[in-house]
Amino acid sequence: MERSWWWKAALYGFLVVLACLYLVPTVVPEQKQPAVIKKYFQKRIQLGLDLQGGLHLVYEVNVDKAVAGKVDRLASDIEDRLRKDKGVADLTVTREGRDDIIFTFKNAPDHAKLDDAILRDHRNDLDVVDRDAAHGVVRLRLDAKQVDEVRDYALRQGIETIRGRVDKFGVAEPTIIKKGTDIIVELPGLKGADFERIKSIIGRTAQLEFKIVDDGSEYMRKLVDYLKGPGAATTKDSGIEAVPESWTEKDTGKQHEDVYLRAKVRDALQTFFDGLTGDLALPPDHEIGYEEMQGRSDTGEATPDKYWRTYYLHKRAALTGEYLSNADQTWDQQTGRPEVSFEFDRQGAAISERMTGDNIGRKMAILLDDKITSAPVIEGRIGARGRITLGGFGDPFALQQEAKDLVAVLRSGALPAPLRKTFETQVGPTMGRDAVSKAKFSMMIGAIAVVLFMMTYYRLAGIIANLAMILNMLFMVAILAAFEASLTLPGIAGLVLTIGMAVDANIIIYERIREELRLGKSVRTAVDSGFQRAFWTVFDAHVTNFVAGVVLYSYGSGPIRGFAVTLLVGIVTNLVTSYWLSHWMFDGLVGRRGAARATLSI
Amino acid sequence: MAAQSEKQKFFEIIHPGASYEFIGNQKYWITTSILLVLLTVVMMPLNAYVLKGRGHALNWGVDFRGGSEILIEFSKPVDAGAIRQALADIHLGDAEVVKYDDPTGKKLWNFMLRVGAVSVVSEQKAKQIRESLAKEGAASLQHFEWSEGGDKIYLRYDQPVDTTALAGSLKAIGVSSNQVQTFGRAVENTYEVTLVGLDTEIRHTLDARLGEGAVAAIPQVESVGAKAGKQLQVDAARSLLYAILLIMVYIAFRFDFRYGPGTVVALLHDAVLVIGAFAVTYKEFSLTTVAAVLTIIGFSMNDTIVVFDRIRENAARLRDRRFDRVVNQSINETLSRTILTSATVFFVTLAMNVFGVGVIRDFAFAMNVGVIVGTYSSVFIASPILIWLNEKFLESQRRAAPRQNRRGGRSTDLQVDEP
Repeated sequence: MERSWWWKAALYGFLVVLACLYLVPTVVPEQKQPAVIKKYFQKRIQLGLDLQGGLHLVYEVNVDKAVAGKVDRLASDIEDRLRKDKGVADLTVTREGRDDIIFTFKNAPDHAKLDDAILRDHRNDLDVVDRDAAHGVVRLRLDAKQVDEVRDYALRQGIETIRGRVDKFGVAEPTIIKKGTDIIVELPGLKGADFERIKSIIGRTAQLEFKIVDDGSEYMRKLVDYLKGPGAATTKDSGIEAVPESWTEKDTGKQHEDVYLRAKVRDALQTFFDGLTGDLALPPDHEIGYEEMQGRSDTGEATPDKYWRTYYLHKRAALTGEYLSNADQTWDQQTGRPEVSFEFDRQGAAISERMTGDNIGRKMAILLDDKITSAPVIEGRIGARGRITLGGFGDPFALQQEAKDLVAVLRSGALPAPLRKTFETQVGPTMGRDAVSKAKFSMMIGAIAVVLFMMTYYRLAGIIANLAMILNMLFMVAILAAFEASLTLPGIAGLVLTIGMAVDANIIIYERIREELRLGKSVRTAVDSGFQRAFWTVFDAHVTNFVAGVVLYSYGSGPIRGFAVTLLVGIVTNLVTSYWLSHWMFDGLVGRRGAARATLSI
Repeated sequence: MAAQSEKQKFFEIIHPGASYEFIGNQKYWITTSILLVLLTVVMMPLNAYVLKGRGHALNWGVDFRGGSEILIEFSKPVDAGAIRQALADIHLGDAEVVKYDDPTGKKLWNFMLRVGAVSVVSEQKAKQIRESLAKEGAASLQHFEWSEGGDKIYLRYDQPVDTTALAGSLKAIGVSSNQVQTFGRAVENTYEVTLVGLDTEIRHTLDARLGEGAVAAIPQVESVGAKAGKQLQVDAARSLLYAILLIMVYIAFRFDFRYGPGTVVALLHDAVLVIGAFAVTYKEFSLTTVAAVLTIIGFSMNDTIVVFDRIRENAARLRDRRFDRVVNQSINETLSRTILTSATVFFVTLAMNVFGVGVIRDFAFAMNVGVIVGTYSSVFIASPILIWLNEKFLESQRRAAPRQNRRGGRSTDLQVDEP
């Protein structure tokens, strides 16, 4: 053998060993894997949604609704200013389409009151499309850039919101991605019973509300008495405990006393409250809010354990996220601590002023998605602008992160863009199992047919082709494992198909070698020129298949994409195994130039 | 060099010296293809308007048609009629109830339900909701928003309404909701109703009509909004065209421009005939079928490339032969590999077709048809077009340079002498 042949042998040997190592995590159960494998080769083939069972959802962000909402708000804001500040009495405001606002002034010259001062405040949002001085009609239109911005923003918020909701369910490997203007959610390994619950929660429109905490209430006191007395036994198991708290009003020094319940899991609290009846039942105008808290040691250090606490809230939310016009993370001028500042629009400011003025010293809970994100104490009357100082003793870095999270929450509440479900697939796990076993069987049958055919038709050369095909399978699956690709039902079809296509390159080469042999060339020459002349034919064929695969990949989603991936990987590995690897095997079979064998079993 | 003294014997299906007449009989083959393409074109309107029980040009899968496909596993014997009757009240559009044979044969009463609806609220139902909820307590309904297939309803009242009461009123007229919440500003009095999923509603209805526990499980649900379905159809057509164009560009670049059009026509021919097979058999045409057609487009090129490669090689070698003879000889020379390469792929896809399940089976069927027409088209479609284009090309060259000596002039690898 020539020296280069041995080098190639080493290379192919190395590749085979590597491929086998990559396959270990997929094939061998975890307990039996050697430590080395666990350390360096943890990646494995995932079962796609259609095989594992699970939920595949595609949502479209209803941008139109968010945009229309924004325009409505702008319209009423400007109307308000014209009436109150400018004293325009007779004015009609109409909306046209999604983006247009038309102001009609009964007294035509009044149109001038919709002046630059007002427009400047909205210069990023609105353009003046038309101003008809004679009839007193002004038409404003939402800036086109704003529409794109709303869409982008809504899409990003949608993804974040969904991620937060999905995380709550503890789904093992959720995929939440953006494709164009759609949000694709894949939740593998779910059971049928969870489908409806998860779907209903994911599809909800995120809602941001501000509610006042009713501290020192009669109800909570009654509840604590119950917990100490008759209810002690029931709550002990669920780990619910009552905790007193107090704080001082900043300006008046008035003391506030309250009590709340806490537990490790939210469900424990929720079940407890749901079970209360008669005297202890929750008053209809109140509700319980839940917040997840970081556990703290006596010295104020954060501990890794978390718990949930309750707030006793007034049910009615006078103020919601839609009144917010801005939110930012800022710094407290005096203490230098991170804080959150926010701004309400005109209507919001009016409501806020009333609401906060009546409740100074109390807490205001900020709720998103039925969960309290923060409940700061109201220290003074809040009009258009307010600040939230973050409590706790945490390090500034953690506090800043907390502040940023709160800003994100406030901003997302400002523009609710509903999600519209456009595509849904649910697969139960049993469905997947049946399909896999059937697919495996058909794969075996197909493979055996091809192997037998190649052996009868090409004899020894057929065995080489079969070896190459089997190695191709090995490489393919190893690469899929290394990429942690998910194997879908069509993906398996792609594997089976590759078996059929893998030997095609060999057939093309072998037929060429036969032709050369028929011309009376020596075995060695025939093999060499056969491989050489068939190369571009084989290469071109692989390229066209690859092109089709790429188009398929970009077109398809979910299972189809899984098919495209297996096809693409298979085409690349097949070029290696059916051409170079086979060539190398032939070199070994035929032997050195001088000592080449005289006949070839092909 | 040790020349072989005797010729080696091979296991052959096509004798090396074989010389079948392909090009001479091309008009028969081309006529056959044209007839098959015509059949496809005629089948679609026939399916859509004439043939009973079909109703669409192709049997679009849910993914294209829009609607829902729900697999229901019953715990006791039921028949399709009973299911249809039980579901009559909830207006699901044209419901189709088909017995579904479980591949393992263990579950006996499986039914596949195909409905046009994706949401529990039909247009009819929406109208009823609108009327029933016109007054909610003291508040009156000002705006009602529901889009076909939507899983949400928006209601706007002139004064605040209690969300729990609203959910109750909806329940009273048989609309189950997952949640009713305020939407937008408090002063807007707008409420968002998130409707319960169609599969859950169907399960409840069937349990109520056929006895509690009648539905053992709903192992599979697929639902696609009508708009998304239309978009998928457009995307599918576009991706087929992209694939064909890209391949044509590659071939034109690797060979020369005369080879391009033949491949395009051959690929279009393959795609159309595979679709035609679905039109004739009225098998479900789904996303997977499109995947199969795209795969076929890639695969069908293999044979064409093998033949074209040989034509190019022979044309350079046999300059004294007429071009169409060169093509015919080239086809004969490569016939065995054309047949063998297609056969191996046909084997495996046939195995999938016979032993596979569901999606795999449809995919395999498309591949089976595609492999056959793909092989056929590389011999009988792509090559004749190449010959025809070559003649046109030579003609125009002769006209452009009448006095130039053709043999000594610019020679292309396709140029051959007239006899």
